[in-house]
Amino acid sequence: MKLENKRIISVLIVFCLSFIGLVGYMSYFQVFRAEKIKQNSYNKRLWINEENIVRGSILDRNGTVLAYSEKQGDEIKRYYKYGRLYSHIIGYSYREYGKAGLELTYNSQLLNINENSAINEIINIVAPSTVGNNLELTIDHGLQEKTRNLLKGKKGTVISMNPKTGEIYSMVSLPDFDSSRLKEDWNEIAEDPNSPFLNRAIQGLYPPGSTFKLITTIGALNTSNLDLEYDCVGSVNVHGYTFTDYQGKGHGHLNLKSALVNSCNTYFTSKSTEIGRDTLGRVAEGFMFNNKIPFDLPVKTSSFPVNENIDKTGLAAASIGQGKVLATPLNMLLVASGIANDGEVVQPYLVKNIVSKDGKMLKTTRTETLSRGTSSIMADKVKDMMIDVIKYGTGKNGSIKNVQVAGKTGTAENASGNSHAWFVGFAPADDPKIAVTVLLEEEGSSGGRSAAPIARDLIIYALNNIKF
Amino acid sequence: MIKKGAKSRQPRNLLFLFEALSLSLLFLYQWDSLEKSTYITAIGLVLIIYLSNFLLLKISDGDQYIFLIVTMLLSIGLIMIYRIDEGLGVKQLLWISIGILTFYLTYFVLRYIKGWRNWGILYLGLSYLLFLFTFVLGSRIKGAKNWIKIGGISFQPAEITKLLLIFIIASFYSNKEKYKDIKYSNYYLVGIVYSFIALLFLQKDLGMAVLFYVIFLALQYIYEEDRKLIFLNIGLFLAGGLLGYVVFDHVKVRFVTWLNPWPYIDNKGYQIIQSLFAIAEGGFFGTGLGLGHPYFIPHADTDFIFSAICEEMGLFTGIGIIMLFLILVYRGFKIALRQKNKFYKILALGISVLFGIQSIVIIGGVLKVIPLTGITLPFVSYGGSSMLSNFIALGVLQVASEDLGLEDEHYEIGE
Repeated sequence: MKLENKRIISVLIVFCLSFIGLVGYMSYFQVFRAEKIKQNSYNKRLWINEENIVRGSILDRNGTVLAYSEKQGDEIKRYYKYGRLYSHIIGYSYREYGKAGLELTYNSQLLNINENSAINEIINIVAPSTVGNNLELTIDHGLQEKTRNLLKGKKGTVISMNPKTGEIYSMVSLPDFDSSRLKEDWNEIAEDPNSPFLNRAIQGLYPPGSTFKLITTIGALNTSNLDLEYDCVGSVNVHGYTFTDYQGKGHGHLNLKSALVNSCNTYFTSKSTEIGRDTLGRVAEGFMFNNKIPFDLPVKTSSFPVNENIDKTGLAAASIGQGKVLATPLNMLLVASGIANDGEVVQPYLVKNIVSKDGKMLKTTRTETLSRGTSSIMADKVKDMMIDVIKYGTGKNGSIKNVQVAGKTGTAENASGNSHAWFVGFAPADDPKIAVTVLLEEEGSSGGRSAAPIARDLIIYALNNIKF
Repeated sequence: MIKKGAKSRQPRNLLFLFEALSLSLLFLYQWDSLEKSTYITAIGLVLIIYLSNFLLLKISDGDQYIFLIVTMLLSIGLIMIYRIDEGLGVKQLLWISIGILTFYLTYFVLRYIKGWRNWGILYLGLSYLLFLFTFVLGSRIKGAKNWIKIGGISFQPAEITKLLLIFIIASFYSNKEKYKDIKYSNYYLVGIVYSFIALLFLQKDLGMAVLFYVIFLALQYIYEEDRKLIFLNIGLFLAGGLLGYVVFDHVKVRFVTWLNPWPYIDNKGYQIIQSLFAIAEGGFFGTGLGLGHPYFIPHADTDFIFSAICEEMGLFTGIGIIMLFLILVYRGFKIALRQKNKFYKILALGISVLFGIQSIVIIGGVLKVIPLTGITLPFVSYGGSSMLSNFIALGVLQVASEDLGLEDEHYEIGE
């Protein structure tokens, strides 16, 4: 009899534990999993609001309407006036295909649905909104159009921003797609081997090539007792691997400045051992390598091998932006901006203001410092060198009459065999108003020849037309 | 008696308060289109539940809580069903009334007719007969062939068979001496239960098959003297499950969509994912009655009612329901521990296990803790046959909670 009751109790315990287990799992689910599951685009509840609320408009910095919604009978339709031009910035919002771009990031603001607080929930129930909020972007529509025209016919990306405030003035990535024709073009876009959905400015990781020498230069300036003189004969052997200069030509006697101006590979590779992985890594991380860049759109993280065991050859390759160094074009823009802004890297942003339907300012983005890339003294020194790059060096094609441009070119080797052409820079050098990055993917020509002219034309247009 | 009355008056009043509050919410929700049926349902629910609780106190000196717990579950379920579909809500109220009548009927029949433990063969015959009916007259609902239609009323025979199973096992173990001489009699029992499970498998009624198995396993664990038989039972089930997985496509689908339903979001994983959306959307306090979207959940009034409740009434109500089942099972086991009459003791255990495992299987299923198998949440889901069979079970449990002495045994000796 006793045994029987003992067994009964053990069965009871199993049941009690199962019930408590269910309660535990439910709580875990609600706290840790629910938020992500709710956001799945198959959750029809996400679209219920959509059917009743007129989604807010998206405007450029001067008030030009870029995207808006209109009620047509029972249906609310979204219009993308410049479907292609803003496909990688505004993105899209379709029931069938989900959301992307700013439409995704700022969904609840565009719909004016307040989330996650008891009071807001009551407000939503008592007085549900019918019109969403508008977004005012930092983009200049004219410059955006100019930027796309400059890049037309090529594969790559161009971004420009204010190096002091972080406002993005234009951002184009090609190939792109037409946000307003997603239904018609979906299959074609999805199957295109050039991946038009990829925003190369923030989602593409490329070897930065010689543009990375800006960081190596700062690394060299930070290395005490480093002999900055060098005799270049066109090639050098670092630990068993031979690095050569562009077209194998020797540059003769060099110091740090003339090495950067002529973009001398042998100079930086042979100095890399003395600069060392730690110093170079510290500078790179100061310019946001290995760090997540907070932005209105998802950004891939650039990488510099600080924790990996790389040998001297690997470090030499890294010092000229090859090998294990990978960067997003946005990150290289931050490198140039940081140097332009006395060594301080500011956070880039696309959305300037969120404004309610009756014109009330709900949120304004303020400039925030992300990190200190280098000291203002060092920044000034590198800036001087970058001016000479444009004046006398590889970046001559970037020069503008009456305006002093500072920049650095890059020609990055990659697996495709056709090198990427890079240009990063800013102007005017004494009081920088705009910083630019140009990346031409698999262009097969040098950054100085093909990327620098695009930057030049962009800067000319921007300085003449943008209200800073 | 007086003391006991005072003790259960307080929770009864709390129950009344809960009903008053949730019904007024229902009124608010339907303010613009209030119909007579709403009033009838509201008054009907309060009256039936208050009266039946009151009446029970006069009739039975057994456990006073199990019926209270069940009426709380009924209230939550009815309000949710009514909110989803008014017509269904009125029908459910009718089923509740019939269910409570069945409860009292069961109580009196069991109380005043003796000899239940000797009719094992009868239960067995009846079970097979019901299976036969299902196969001959059965129609498919939700992919499982486990319903029969008689005169416009659909009925699920397995709901009765699950009670017969408990009676068969109880009569077997309480008549040990009688079967002593028959060699391998306990193996016969295993064979019988497995034949049931196999038949349920063929009907594609996986939820019920699991129910049958767990009831059997639990009772076998407690009463079987031949311990190696238990391991055999577990081994057989695992082998059977594996065979089912390989042979039957519907078993495989359940398993695959349990492990990762997301790739099958618009076909076979649809149901479970809609359930997860609903629970996630509800948060801790729910969207509020009438403010969620239970129409997005498939079968929100039956198998997935727990998800619908979680969406509108919140995680805390969901936890409340689980806790109610925990107390119900706990009371059931306590009744079993106290009962001296072995037959009723086993019945009480079987019924407690039934309530426990049925709620765990379906709640665990909609939460994606275990593979989803379609069964109802006892006393909460909409449905006539499950309501009736669960109330019969509760009636048996009520009888078992009383001091029956050893009179059944005396009766047998007197024979």
